[in-house]
Amino acid sequence: MGDDLSELTRLHRDGSLAAHYPRVRALLAELTGDPLARAGRLLARLDPDDVLAAHPGTPAPLLALTGHGTLTGAVPALTAELARHGLLARVRLSPFDSWVFDLADPASDLYAARPDLVLCLLDAATVTDDLPTPWGADDVARVLEEKLALLERAAEVCATAAPGATLVLNTLPLLPETPAQLLDLRARARLGALWRRAEARLLELPDRHPHVVVVDLLPQLARGVAAGDVRQSVYARAHLSDGLLARYAREVGHLARLSTGGGKKVLALDLDNTVWGGVLGEVGPDGIETDGGYRGEAFRRFQLVVRQLAAQGVLVTAVSKNDLEPVEKTLREHPGLALREEDFVRIRANWRPKHENIAELADELNLGADSFVFVDDSAFERGLVRRELPGVAVVAVDEEPALHPGRLLEDGWFAARELTDEDLVRPARYREERDRRDFLHTFDSLDGYLRELDTTVTVAPAAPGEYARISQITLRTNQFNLTTRRLQPADVRALAADPAALVLGVRAADRFGDHGLVGAVLLRQDGEVLHVDNFLLSCRVFSRGIEQTVLHAVLRHARDSGLREVRAAYRRTPKNGKVADFCPRGGFTATTVTDEETLFRHDLAELPEPAAHIRLTARFGRAPGEGDAP
Amino acid sequence: MKTVEDYVELLRDELALPVTAEDLGRPLDAVAAWDSVHLLTLCTLLERETGRPLSLADVLEAPSLEAVYRLAVAP
Repeated sequence: MGDDLSELTRLHRDGSLAAHYPRVRALLAELTGDPLARAGRLLARLDPDDVLAAHPGTPAPLLALTGHGTLTGAVPALTAELARHGLLARVRLSPFDSWVFDLADPASDLYAARPDLVLCLLDAATVTDDLPTPWGADDVARVLEEKLALLERAAEVCATAAPGATLVLNTLPLLPETPAQLLDLRARARLGALWRRAEARLLELPDRHPHVVVVDLLPQLARGVAAGDVRQSVYARAHLSDGLLARYAREVGHLARLSTGGGKKVLALDLDNTVWGGVLGEVGPDGIETDGGYRGEAFRRFQLVVRQLAAQGVLVTAVSKNDLEPVEKTLREHPGLALREEDFVRIRANWRPKHENIAELADELNLGADSFVFVDDSAFERGLVRRELPGVAVVAVDEEPALHPGRLLEDGWFAARELTDEDLVRPARYREERDRRDFLHTFDSLDGYLRELDTTVTVAPAAPGEYARISQITLRTNQFNLTTRRLQPADVRALAADPAALVLGVRAADRFGDHGLVGAVLLRQDGEVLHVDNFLLSCRVFSRGIEQTVLHAVLRHARDSGLREVRAAYRRTPKNGKVADFCPRGGFTATTVTDEETLFRHDLAELPEPAAHIRLTARFGRAPGEGDAP
Repeated sequence: MKTVEDYVELLRDELALPVTAEDLGRPLDAVAAWDSVHLLTLCTLLERETGRPLSLADVLEAPSLEAVYRLAVAP
């Protein structure tokens, strides 16, 4: 850890930090607390333009930071937290205390800057600064009401003035010296009730405004982080402590990661001393600690947390240095384990390096290694995985199993803006996929397999209940994503309501089960031309003819509707190389080719063949209710 | 932190300020990459380094980095 910070400091002194920016993520990986804060101060000195000049592909979200009080202290923390995810923070800091103007005026400079994230950092002084002297609980009620009305208005304006942006608000930690100024205990209790009711209303804003996220600071205070430093608050109007700003920035870092497509899907667990106590190969199944005894209970508690994550769509895998047979037998038969064989979508137990196993699992699950979170108690294993697979998030646990759940949950790797029905059944879908693979191995040819698979595909305008899932497909799909245009749920809703646009959902099923909503096609008609604004397909169902079949349906629809041509684009990213030839293979011809993108045109004279083994149902007209606001 | 050299190192590595010993006596506005909020962080860092409290009000009124140093090492 010290070495990593020294190396970062050396790069800073050399002036070569921008040139080595891709290394920064790994250098920050094990830093926390003061060292991470120091790294943030070094990184905040970088000119983002220098980094982008050296590494043009670096995702660089624009964070517009506004709020009450002095906010400069948040900049290094935000810079460090985004860098931890391989992102480059471009922070636009508003003038002191200008949040009301920034957010309520649709023509404000803040919106004109086209931010990706709008951070409105609030604190208790946002309210208490407006209290008269002397004041009572009624005054607090009035000011809270005013601020809530302003925030509600800000949420409305932000949705239209900065479409696609996320507005991040936070709860307002109440400092003890405010209630302590009320001597009547009933009045003091009323103040507490008013304050929490206002915070509850703040936390409910995202229900009505899907582009709003509220960071709840209360759990951070429970962790023991001070809310503020009174001297900094009084002398410098910096109302939130550096420690709390660091925790806030961590949440914002994860939000930025999610909006740039960096969602985590897989939990790869070491077994010995991570899932259970002891080394299975040495103590045997009867000797491992799980259930019963103090440490056994602690391990079991961790197993229950893993099951809780799995129930919400996290794919759990085991990556253990053990012989496979005793591991499988233990997970199947041990009466004390809460986490069992059927909870894992894959179990890898062998003596090969763990990074190789993770890379192969990624391949098998058709996911990038960077969608993995790896947990191990061995510093050696963690270090190796971190070095060989820098995109994997590595979580350290140690010899105290009671701390395992907190370690796993602390960083919020698996949090999502909105979980969909699809998430909840994902582990089952991946287990079905394992059965499909076993079935595949009984065939001589892929064609024979695909015929027997009996795949059905349905293409139809997305229903309101599917908008969240469509948004998620645009946010999470990195490989089969022609233009990488990311859409929040509110964007999908707006598109679906646009008469010139058509948001199509793609569903698929086969003899092993229902895949659910696996893809989306975004169409826009302009006169006699149909534009394919994006075409996306979940990585689970690639290369089975589904993509050709859907493209065929879209082209046939265009021709049957009497349109002249269909246009499409391929916008290159580091991850979507596998769809570079998707349009040409579908009979499109390239009209414009640049380094970043290729534009295509299809004259509809000759349509590509649909895949013979797929039964297709396609509907392009909207049924009543579709495209309406839900 | 015992010497001016230590102080300059702290300013350079902890605060990421591109300063040398010659810059310490300059008015703060004349220090490259200066921002008044650095005084808050500097005060926190100096309290950590010296293990004793500093008056933030005095630090905020200091005219130069040298003046801050004198506050931190004052007996």
